[in-house]
Amino acid sequence: MRVTAEKIAQLEEIAYQIRRLSLEMITCGRWGHVGGSFSLAEILACLYFHELEVDPQNPRWEGRDRFVLSKAHASPALYAALALRGFFPLEELYTYCELGGRLEGHTDMTRTPGLECSGGALGQGLSIAVGMALGFRMKEQPYNRVYCVLGDGECNEGQVWEAAMSAAHYHLDNLIAIVDYNKVMAKGFVWEEMGLEPLGAKWRAFGWEVLEVDGHDVEALLRVLYEARHVRVHGVPVAIIAHTVKGKGLRETEFNYKWHTQAPDPEQADAMLRQLARNYGRPEEGYSKLNDPVAKEKFYGGE
Amino acid sequence: MSEEMRDVFGKTLVELGHEFPELVVLDADLHTSSKAVYFKQAFPARFIQCGIAEQNMFGIAAGLATQGFIPFPCTFAVFASQRALDQIAVSIAYPRLNVKIPGSYVGIPTSRAGASHNAVADLAIMRSLPHMRVADPGDNRELRSLMRAAVLTEGPVYFRITRYTLPDLFATDYEFAWGRGVRLREGSDVTLIGTGMMTGLCLEAAELLARDGISAEVLHCGSIKPLDEDLVAESARKTGAVVTAENASVVGGLGSAVAEVLTERAPAVLRRVGVQDRFIESGGIGELLAHHRMRPADIAGRAREALEAKDSRP
Repeated sequence: MRVTAEKIAQLEEIAYQIRRLSLEMITCGRWGHVGGSFSLAEILACLYFHELEVDPQNPRWEGRDRFVLSKAHASPALYAALALRGFFPLEELYTYCELGGRLEGHTDMTRTPGLECSGGALGQGLSIAVGMALGFRMKEQPYNRVYCVLGDGECNEGQVWEAAMSAAHYHLDNLIAIVDYNKVMAKGFVWEEMGLEPLGAKWRAFGWEVLEVDGHDVEALLRVLYEARHVRVHGVPVAIIAHTVKGKGLRETEFNYKWHTQAPDPEQADAMLRQLARNYGRPEEGYSKLNDPVAKEKFYGGE
Repeated sequence: MSEEMRDVFGKTLVELGHEFPELVVLDADLHTSSKAVYFKQAFPARFIQCGIAEQNMFGIAAGLATQGFIPFPCTFAVFASQRALDQIAVSIAYPRLNVKIPGSYVGIPTSRAGASHNAVADLAIMRSLPHMRVADPGDNRELRSLMRAAVLTEGPVYFRITRYTLPDLFATDYEFAWGRGVRLREGSDVTLIGTGMMTGLCLEAAELLARDGISAEVLHCGSIKPLDEDLVAESARKTGAVVTAENASVVGGLGSAVAEVLTERAPAVLRRVGVQDRFIESGGIGELLAHHRMRPADIAGRAREALEAKDSRP
C-alpha cells in the first residue's frame, strides 16, 4: 500500500485535535481520563479517518464496520473523533458528563450517535466484538470488520481471555483487537500492578495473529491496519499490540499515572493546551472556554 | 400433568426459531440439561456453543443483539444472575439490548447439586436491574406464551424455567402479558400470591384453608417485573392479609415486590413463603420443600398466621 505525505499530515492533525479536544472536554466536564485518551489519539485518527467504513449521516447504516471501545474511559478521545468525523457538532463536546447530555462519562450507545456499544466495566468489549463479528458472518457481510480497542491493564480481566479463546475457536478473521499498550494503569506501571509480558506470546498462544506497532506512528499504523484487513491469515483473528505512551503529548502527563483520571482547572488546561500546541508545532492555542463566564462558573461554582 | 417445563422450553425455542429467523441460541456447555439441545438439532447454524465462559457468552449475546439478532444465551439461573451479572448489567441491560435470558435450574427442584447450582437470589438480582423484565411462569402454557411475549418485546428479558413437571394452571387460550397478574380463585379472608411453581401449591393451600372455612383468594404473578400492582393492591384491600410464595429467596423477590406495593398503596398483614435468606443444601425435592417450609400445608399455616395477626390488630 502507498501512503501519501498528505494523508499522514492529515491524520497527524486529527490526532492533535483529538488530544486538544479531549483536554478541553475533560476540563469543561470536570472529569475524565487524560492519559488513556492521549495514548489513543493516533489509533482513533487512523481508524475513523482512514480504516473504518462508516457514514456519519447514517450512523446505523447496515454496511458499516463496527468499532468497540472496550477501554471506555477513553471516551473523550472517541467523542472527539466522532465529532471531528461529523457524527455530531463539535460544540456538543462541551456537554461531556453533563446531566441530560448525550456524552456520558463512560459510553452509552443509546445516547451518542456513532457508538456501537455501551461500556465502562473493563473486560467486556472484546466479547461484544466477538458477537458482532459472528453477526457479520451470519448475515453474510464478509467485507465488514469489527475493531476493538482494549487497554493494557484491561487485559488483567479474565473475560478478555475468554473472548480471545472464543474468537480463535470461531475463526473470526473479521475481528481485529488493538491493545493500547501505554504501559501505565490507574495507579502505577503495568509491570508493578500486574505484569502482562510476554503479551504478544499470550495472544499467539490463544490462536491470534499478532502484529506489533508504534501506536503513535501514523504511517506504521496505517500499514499494520492494512495488513490486518487484507493480508491476514485466513481464519485467524488479528491482535495489534500498539506500543503507546500514556498521556502522550505533554511531559507532565506522559507515563504519569496521576493523569489517569484527573481534570485540570481552566488555567492549568490553558497552559497545557499551549504547551501541547508548541510540542506539535501548531499555532499556540489555549483553553477555548478560559474566559467563558458560564464555563468558569461551572468549574468554580459547582461541587 | 404434562411434560417437564424444560422440555417445553426447548421445543418452544424451536417453534419460535421457525417463526423468527433472527432468533439465535447460545450455550455454555449445558444444552442437554437446559434442553436448548432441541434448537441445536433444528438450527445448527444458529446455535453458538460458548464453552464454560458465561461472562463471554453474555457479551457475545450483546454483540449479536446490536447486529439485529434476538439471542437467547442459555445457562443455569445461578450462573446468569451471579457469574455474569456485570455483563448482563452493563453490556445488555444498560443499553437495553434485545437479549432474552432464560434461567434454568431455579430454586428447589435442581437435582441434588446444592448451593452452587441452586438459584435463589436470581429474582432479586434481576429485578434490581433497570430495563430488565422478569418473569417466573406458573405452567407450561404460560412459559410458551411468555417466550413469545419475550421475543415480541424489545429489550432485555429474564425468565425462569423450573426443572419440574407442573400441573396445568391455564387454559390453552391463556396469554401471558407483562404486568398482568391473574386471579385464579376468588376469596375474601386472605390473599395467596404465587409465582412460578409456587402458584400451584397456593391453589392446594387454598383447598386446605377452605376445609377450615377460610376463604382464600389466589393470585398468580408470572410477571414479577413489571408487577400487577393494581391487582395486588385491590386484593390486599379486600382481604387485609397476604401470603406470598416463591421458589426463591424471600429477600428481594416476589415477597419483597409485594411488600413494596402493600407498604405504598394498601397496607396489609404480610407473610412470605420461600427460601428464608439461606443457601439451599442437597436433598430431594419433597424433602427440601418440607425443610424450607414451602409445601401447601406450610403456605396454609402462614395464611392462618396472617389471619390471626389481621384479627388481632386494633
